[in-house]
Formats: sequence, structure tokens, C-alpha cells
Amino acid sequence: MPVAEASIAEEHAWCAGVLAAPLAAPRWRVWRYRAPEIVLGCAQRALHEAAMRRAPRGVAVTVRPSGGGAVLAGPWMVGVTVVLPPGHALLGEGLVDSYRWLGELHAGVLAQAGIAARALDPRVQRPAPDAAGATGAAHAATAAGVRWACFGALSPWEVVAADGRKLTGLSQQRKRAGVAYSAGTLVARPDWRLLCEALGEPADAARLHALTAACEETPAAAGLDAAAWAERLDTALAARLDDGGPET
Amino acid sequence: MTRQIVLDDACWKDVEEGTEALLDRWLVAEGDAVKAGATVAVVVLVKTSIEVPAPADGVLERILVPAEGTFARSVPIGTLREAG
Repeated sequence: MPVAEASIAEEHAWCAGVLAAPLAAPRWRVWRYRAPEIVLGCAQRALHEAAMRRAPRGVAVTVRPSGGGAVLAGPWMVGVTVVLPPGHALLGEGLVDSYRWLGELHAGVLAQAGIAARALDPRVQRPAPDAAGATGAAHAATAAGVRWACFGALSPWEVVAADGRKLTGLSQQRKRAGVAYSAGTLVARPDWRLLCEALGEPADAARLHALTAACEETPAAAGLDAAAWAERLDTALAARLDDGGPET
Repeated sequence: MTRQIVLDDACWKDVEEGTEALLDRWLVAEGDAVKAGATVAVVVLVKTSIEVPAPADGVLERILVPAEGTFARSVPIGTLREAG
């Protein structure tokens, strides 16, 4: 079952289960999400209680084991979890380099569908998002970023559209049993207002909108829904992680 | 003998100069006995949570970087008094 429709809790439970035992080969899953859920980075634990209080009824708030800023998962996003054994060749040399293959894999899948996406190479000066199409305050806001939100900031090898707006966020957890990557790609526009209000930062919704893109905004890819993106990502992962094999 | 607890230098390779790591949480308290390789703290660097292992069997002597504190490359986050 390499592609699963799940909640964030189910995703985290799967990953924890994989990391609980010695790992001989890569394992992965691609996730679609049934309903909106707020996912905080592990260092945002202190925000959990307030976010739960502010979030609309029925919207779960979870703290993930990996770093980075808050994410609003939901039907607009496709997630990927990859767990590699310690010492696996794809881990590269150092933390920054270890993100490269997964960012490039996502950029390749998006490019195949006609989206001019690229993974951000930290060795090249990082271009600031120019928020093409955004006007006024939203355009000016892109320079500062929204540091508390995953999609409000850029890290090495994350994936952006041609104009620098973010499409895919990456994070990682390193444990003795292995390294677990998480990736999230925006297929459609999230309800940024929901996330910003739950985090007590309602004024940041316009900035997040200006800093991000969505796959469906590219006409050539507009017909692809989350299920189609999930299948494409799974196919690419299967080809890249051929020493493992898909989850069954 | 006292040993320093330091985040593996390999983690810092290619990390932008001036970047600091965040001490997310300590899993043991000062005075607790730990086994070599057991996770004593979790830190965050470049969106990655990283388990920091005890460098030897011993007792966590001092926490030098508290939870939610930040630290630079090569800075010890704590000290461990080696057993024996």
C-alpha cells in the first residue's frame, strides 16, 4: 500500500513503527489527507495548546517529530515519508546534502507534468520569491517570509516554482534506527487563514498566499488531482529506491 | 573523567555560517545515569530533529544548553562524568 489516504496521526504512527525496528532497506509511503489538520514542528511544541484552542472544531493539531514550521495538511496536499537505513547512499555528505535527492525527485515529478519547478541549491544564491501576480502589501511581504510556517520560508533543496514561490516543503528526523524524511507538496491552495488564525497570526495569511504556489495553477497540470500526484510520486520513489521496494 | 556532549560535527557540513541549532529537549536530567549511545537530547538543525547520544557510560553531570536554547557548531551542550 504505497499510497494511503490517512490522518496525520496515522502517518506518524506508520513512521514510528518503521523506526522502531532495525531497517535493512528504504521504506516509503505517499499520503493523501482526508481533512484539514495542523501539524507543528517539534520545536513548536509550546504552541500546541493555544493552537488547539483556536483551531476550528474538528481540525486536529499535531506535533510532528521532525523540525521546521507549521503545516496545514489537507486534501490540497500530498505528503511523502521516506525512511532510509543509517549509512544509506542517498544520505549524502552532511545534513544539507541529505535533502538533495528528495528535493530533486519532487522537482522532477513536477517538471514532468509541465510545472517549471526547481529544488533550491544552497550553493547558488537563493533568489527571493518575487510573488508574480501578487500586488501591493502581499508583494512587499515576500521579502521577510513567515518564519513560523513551513511554507513561509525556504530551506536547502526545497522546491519552488519558477518565480520562487514554494511548492514543496521538506523536513527530517534522525534516529539511531534510520533517517525519516517528510515532504509535503501543495496540489491546490490551502486555507491559509485557518492556519494563521489557529497560530494567532491572522495578519500573515496574505503573506503566506504570496509566498506559495500550487500545482493546479499551472495550466498543463491543472487536471491532476491529489490522487494523480500521489501515484506519480510513488512511481518516482519506487524507481529511485529500487533497493527497497514499495510498502505492502 | 568528564566528557563533553557535542552534536556530531558531520551534521554541520555545508550548513550556512552563523546558523545555530536549537536544543529541543533533554531526555535525561542532571545526575541521571546513561549508557553509551543512549539518546540524551534532541536538537533541531536545518529542519531536522537529531538524537544526540551519550558518548560513554556515565552520569549526566551538567546541562550547558537548556531546552529551547540555541548553540553553535562545536559547542558542548552538556557534560558527562564517565563511569568507572
